[in-house]
Amino acid sequence: MPQNDLVHGAVLVLIVVAGFFAIWFRDLLSSIISLSAVSLLLAVEFYILQAPDVAIAEAAIGAGLSTAIYIVALRGCRKAPSGGSLSPEEATPEPGKEEPKP
Amino acid sequence: MNVFLFSWSAGILGVAAVLVLGRLVGGPTIPDRVVALDTMNTLAVAIMILLAVVYDSVVMVDVAVVYAALSFVTTLFIARHLEGGTGR
Repeated sequence: MPQNDLVHGAVLVLIVVAGFFAIWFRDLLSSIISLSAVSLLLAVEFYILQAPDVAIAEAAIGAGLSTAIYIVALRGCRKAPSGGSLSPEEATPEPGKEEPKP
Repeated sequence: MNVFLFSWSAGILGVAAVLVLGRLVGGPTIPDRVVALDTMNTLAVAIMILLAVVYDSVVMVDVAVVYAALSFVTTLFIARHLEGGTGR
């Protein structure tokens, strides 16, 4: 069936693109959103391969629980006392400041 | 005949999901990406229900129902995090 191949190709290309951008984003919230898109497309791919129980497990754990846990962890990281350089805006001006000193 | 119609419409919705992913990876701000993810969730639920008609199995509708409920929770968590999180 050519139309089934069309859905297969679209979903597989989307999985690869979203997985690449999940590790390419510098912002952590954007990375979490892209990872949620990967989980969604993986659930659709399991569904197209006619495994509905695996698709239910992937949708429940991957899309529901995992993204919520990542969001809670990200909020916990930002509430931590300042000491680590989590945001790239804090990390980039420092080498510029230290260069003119000597 | 009807199966071909539903299957082609599922393929067209897959192409629409490709276009929405362009907004998800290239959105300038975070709310653009959240709305793109929510649109992709809705498109995935529609594709699942259309393919349940194509494959002629009632069990596969349950996947769409479970996913529609859980993607709402995910979007709700991201929206609360964007709002600032007044109280836990």
